[in-house]
Amino acid sequence: MKVAYWPGCVSRGFTPELHGSMAKVAPLLDIELVELDRACCTGAGVIAEHNQELADTLNARTFALAQQVEGAAMMMNICSTCQGAQSECQERLDANAEYRAHVNTTLAAEGLSYEKGLTNKNFLWLLVEEIGLEKLRSLVRRPLTNLRVGPFYGCYIVRPRERLGIDQEHPRDQYLDQVIDALGGTVIEYAGMRKCCGFPIITMNKDASLKQAGRHLGDAVDADADCLVTPCPLCHLNLDLQQPLAERLVGRELDMPVLHLPQLVGLALGLEPKELGMNRHVVRPTSVIDWSTSVVGAAG
Amino acid sequence: MPAHDVLIIGAGLAGQRAALAAAQSGASVAIMSKVHPVRSHSVAAAGGINAAISVDDDWHSHAYDTVKGSDFLGDQDAIEVMCSEAPAEVMHLEHIGVTFHRNDKGEMDLRAFGGASMKRTAYVADITGQAMLHVLYEQLMRHHETVERYEEWFTTSLLTDDDGRCAGVIARDVRTGRMEAFQAKNVILACGGAGQAYKPTTNGLIVTGDGIAMAYRAGAPLMDMEMVQYHPTCLVETGILITEGARGEGAHLLNAAGERFMEKSAPNKMELASRDVVSRAEQIEINEGRGVGPDGSGIYLDVTVVPRKRTLEALREIVNLGRDFAGVDITREPITIRPGQHYIMGGVKTDVDGRTPIEGLYAAGEVACVSVHGGNRLGANSLLDTLIFGRRSGEHAAARAAGIGMPRVDAAAQLKQDIARIDSIIARPHDGRRVSEIKNELGELMNRHAAVFRDEAGLQTAREAIGRLKEEAEHAWIDDHGTVFNQDVLGAIELGYMIDCAETTVIGAIERKESRGAQFRTDYPERNDEEWLKHIDVTLGADGPQVSYSPVTITQWQPEERKY
Amino acid sequence: MAETHLPPEKFTVRLRRYDPESGDAPYWDEHTIELAPHRSVLEAVLQARDRFDGSIGIRCSCRQAICGSCGVRVNGEPALACHTHLDAAKRSARDGVIEIEPMGNMPVLKDLIVDMDDVHWKKIRRVTPWLLAKQPVPEREYLVPAESMVDVTQTMACIQCGACVSDCLAMEVDPLFIGPAALAKAYRFVGDPRDDQQFERLNDLAQDPHGMFDCTHCFKCVDACPKDVNPMGQIMRLRRIATSDHHIVDQNNGERHEAAFTSLIRDNGLLWEAELLPRSYGGNSWFGKFHPAAGKELLSSLPAIVKALVRRKVTPAGALKPHRIPKADLRSVQAIFEKVESRDRRYELNLYIAGEDEEPPPPEVPVAAGIVAPIADEPAAPQAASTPTPDEGGPGDGGTPTSPEGSASQ
Repeated sequence: MKVAYWPGCVSRGFTPELHGSMAKVAPLLDIELVELDRACCTGAGVIAEHNQELADTLNARTFALAQQVEGAAMMMNICSTCQGAQSECQERLDANAEYRAHVNTTLAAEGLSYEKGLTNKNFLWLLVEEIGLEKLRSLVRRPLTNLRVGPFYGCYIVRPRERLGIDQEHPRDQYLDQVIDALGGTVIEYAGMRKCCGFPIITMNKDASLKQAGRHLGDAVDADADCLVTPCPLCHLNLDLQQPLAERLVGRELDMPVLHLPQLVGLALGLEPKELGMNRHVVRPTSVIDWSTSVVGAAG
Repeated sequence: MPAHDVLIIGAGLAGQRAALAAAQSGASVAIMSKVHPVRSHSVAAAGGINAAISVDDDWHSHAYDTVKGSDFLGDQDAIEVMCSEAPAEVMHLEHIGVTFHRNDKGEMDLRAFGGASMKRTAYVADITGQAMLHVLYEQLMRHHETVERYEEWFTTSLLTDDDGRCAGVIARDVRTGRMEAFQAKNVILACGGAGQAYKPTTNGLIVTGDGIAMAYRAGAPLMDMEMVQYHPTCLVETGILITEGARGEGAHLLNAAGERFMEKSAPNKMELASRDVVSRAEQIEINEGRGVGPDGSGIYLDVTVVPRKRTLEALREIVNLGRDFAGVDITREPITIRPGQHYIMGGVKTDVDGRTPIEGLYAAGEVACVSVHGGNRLGANSLLDTLIFGRRSGEHAAARAAGIGMPRVDAAAQLKQDIARIDSIIARPHDGRRVSEIKNELGELMNRHAAVFRDEAGLQTAREAIGRLKEEAEHAWIDDHGTVFNQDVLGAIELGYMIDCAETTVIGAIERKESRGAQFRTDYPERNDEEWLKHIDVTLGADGPQVSYSPVTITQWQPEERKY
Repeated sequence: MAETHLPPEKFTVRLRRYDPESGDAPYWDEHTIELAPHRSVLEAVLQARDRFDGSIGIRCSCRQAICGSCGVRVNGEPALACHTHLDAAKRSARDGVIEIEPMGNMPVLKDLIVDMDDVHWKKIRRVTPWLLAKQPVPEREYLVPAESMVDVTQTMACIQCGACVSDCLAMEVDPLFIGPAALAKAYRFVGDPRDDQQFERLNDLAQDPHGMFDCTHCFKCVDACPKDVNPMGQIMRLRRIATSDHHIVDQNNGERHEAAFTSLIRDNGLLWEAELLPRSYGGNSWFGKFHPAAGKELLSSLPAIVKALVRRKVTPAGALKPHRIPKADLRSVQAIFEKVESRDRRYELNLYIAGEDEEPPPPEVPVAAGIVAPIADEPAAPQAASTPTPDEGGPGDGGTPTSPEGSASQ
């Protein structure tokens, strides 16, 4: 399927391995990515905090660009925070025709206009709802057998439930578990899996921020996870990039690798850790690489 | 022993208003409540508060509507006080922060309500009671230096001195189980009605008639206890209230044939007739087989005729209630309701300053009977009642305190007695009935025999049964033997309070051999001003309940036939 | 009709019990009760209490989600017991047994009863929770825009149940955080045009090291709230008014972070993470001057930065050069910034006030037969269109143009 693809900022900045691995994985899933390279940052909630209309207008511009991509079934993102920030703006834009018209007046300068009702899905949602777990299962070349994976969702993709369309029919707050399972891995439940990584307050209250990251990582260690997987690059920053600092704050060694969702999928679809940029993490995903070698060894 | 000029029992609207008024008058004030103040049942009052604040309105009109609504049993001097002071009181609330709904000009908006001759009800969406209660609590927090708060303290009895004057209370700290005596020059009872004596009821689980029973046991007369209001729109299963504001906004009542049956009994006011009239009309439809729902025990309230946007804004809470408690989107389909116990017009007899015949004891709000509601209270008059008479009680008690010393009283003996009573409840053997069983039976009994329609046989059955339940309650056992939050033992005490309230209600209902306001006797279907234009007082004597009468005060409105 | 008398079914509840007098640790206690599936978890607890064990402790009163007494956790999530249906609770239960525990972030006193005074009410008192009304007090009511009262009624509708406090993730790691309920309460006054102390209130909340910039955007409170108060949304509005209207610079880099983030997007279209840190800490840039307090913070981040460089996660060239969107698009983005930010007043669509556009009703509406006469001329629609934005006329109802002065008058 063809999607208007919004990679976000961080996947092209501090977590380039995310963008890279998504590009590698997409063809294996028969997803055609048409990158929205003209679009700007979603504002990650911060611009909305500064000026709501500004955030709504900037995102309406992105939505309008996505709607111009010919043949695209929907818009796709690879960042929980982007999903959350965009869903919030879209909720307002879709709720009120007058407001939408008002925002579109600003977009008109560029000849753009957002029409109500865009479908915008995180890669995780798209995997489960569009590709389907059965299909995914059938594509697995290297089942994640015995790999103990802890899901880390990121707040923006699980709350608020109503805005994000999470309900009985769409248990989107379970999808990461379902995907790990479909890929053949072992889902590790731990206390912090749907809690906050702490990233949004890293500059405001660093101790509290890293205490959050440290606690969840510690919970995962205690639950004997080999690694975590997250659909959010900002969570990745606090859980991986900041892990050395979080270790100090919670006073324990953590050494918990954190994978991006496309990396985990890619691994199961047969790609090599290095192709997926797993060598570029702050915390070396040694356990995962060792596991993949052992599987290859066994298979060979 | 803690001592205060004014000690208020109950921290709903009446209690908090009394506390603030007394403190402002310079008295040392404490307010005591068995729950945190914002949990008080005033919080559930939805629709609004009446006051003649519109330039087109006149408090006399409000007073006349109230007198008529009371079926001429209300005391007109008290009604005049309430209605004439209403506008200033409502403005005061606005000034301290209540977020009253505004019109286009930024003025307070007014909505229509039952029994009112014009739009006179100020409101905060349909959470008016909550908004007011929380704003008063804000003021209590602000004035924490002048108003002491005993939150989660349960009052077990009133202290009286040798001359029969009220001199304080005995209470139990719910958190620790510690019992303590409190001395006070004045005690103001502001602890609400007794709805839990009925099942179902719109009232919260805490509304157990504590103040009414304590005053009664201390010798105060209870007045108009037979006047029990059934609210016309309660959810069938749970008894949860759907505000009269819904009809105020234009909602219709429909029977199984889709007819607006109010045409028959109130061709002019239709759904906005007074509550007793509407509840009766509904009950007739149900009794005569024109009800809706699986067993025909309900009536449709059709809010879909109100513009959806207006409903979503002004009736937000009942949209939620419909969705969450009945699974109905009231903006799209009618909801099934029926009359349910809601309010007691009767209570501890007081004058317009909240004074009971017991010196040093005041009462305000639903616990009291001034009487401004007579045989039937108008919607949106109860919030007003709590504030006006709460304030007046507080002011009067503070003034009285300034002129007298702290009463001397042997609190130790009473304290010991109350401790022993609680210990004995905890120690009861498990050979009688559970408290909860007796409570259930009482509620169902009252709802069967002392409801919208009553008759001699039913009421006598109820009276006998209450006598038996009273016996059983003396031996009812509980499970919790602890001290920290022993809600079980408090439940046993509350059961006793409710039984007293139920008993006096039935006694009044048997006594009043006519139909007036909320009391409809199928065996005496007419109003009989000649014999019964008077209050019925019930006092606890040495041999049990004693009935006496007191006159209705009439100032400017002679009784006339009531038509809506 | 959806409403019904469904037959009762059996449900099993697992209650977290704790008796402070026993010296025993908390334990689980199971009871099977019978109720119709749409009845509430509270009714289940009460049935267990009435029938099996009168010593079960829970605060409750109204049974209709207005008194705020029965805040608990149901299957690990904060909720009002009376506001949670049994069938829904059973669906979300791990093993079919509905788990009911006391709320979090507050000490447990007994069974399901927590000490709200010690946490929740203390925090509420922290925010000066009463109106400091503009003087002189008018003879009649303050004249204020209709939508402003609807707006603050959203936070007035908070029933102080503590569900949001229970699971506030920021409070979990920083117990001193003022927290969602108290900050929502603060907005109730900050947003009230009758209040005279908007700046002072905001400054107070901004300068508190555990104040409004401590919220971690986790949306827990939004989902926890049974009354649609949207505490996190209110916190964002507090921040917005503090920074944009009053230019309050807080001790916690909150304002600087917001300004840095926003300006980076304006300048580049995309976030330049490497520059966010120094700018947020009060410097202009890595290449400019640091705020004196920023040095230490930056130094403490160095280990992570160094490690990232070593692992080639971030290349120096990559970090030091912003990624930008194409020039023409950047110009368009900047034009949007310019246009929106130059408005005299910020325009905010508040869905609580505006509601959603009317959808056509579903095809088969079971309208009761009979008369469905339209009501004549009342009630009048109360919401006038809000003041149009100056340049082109803003959209109608629901918008709350906000200005620092508010607009109370007498």
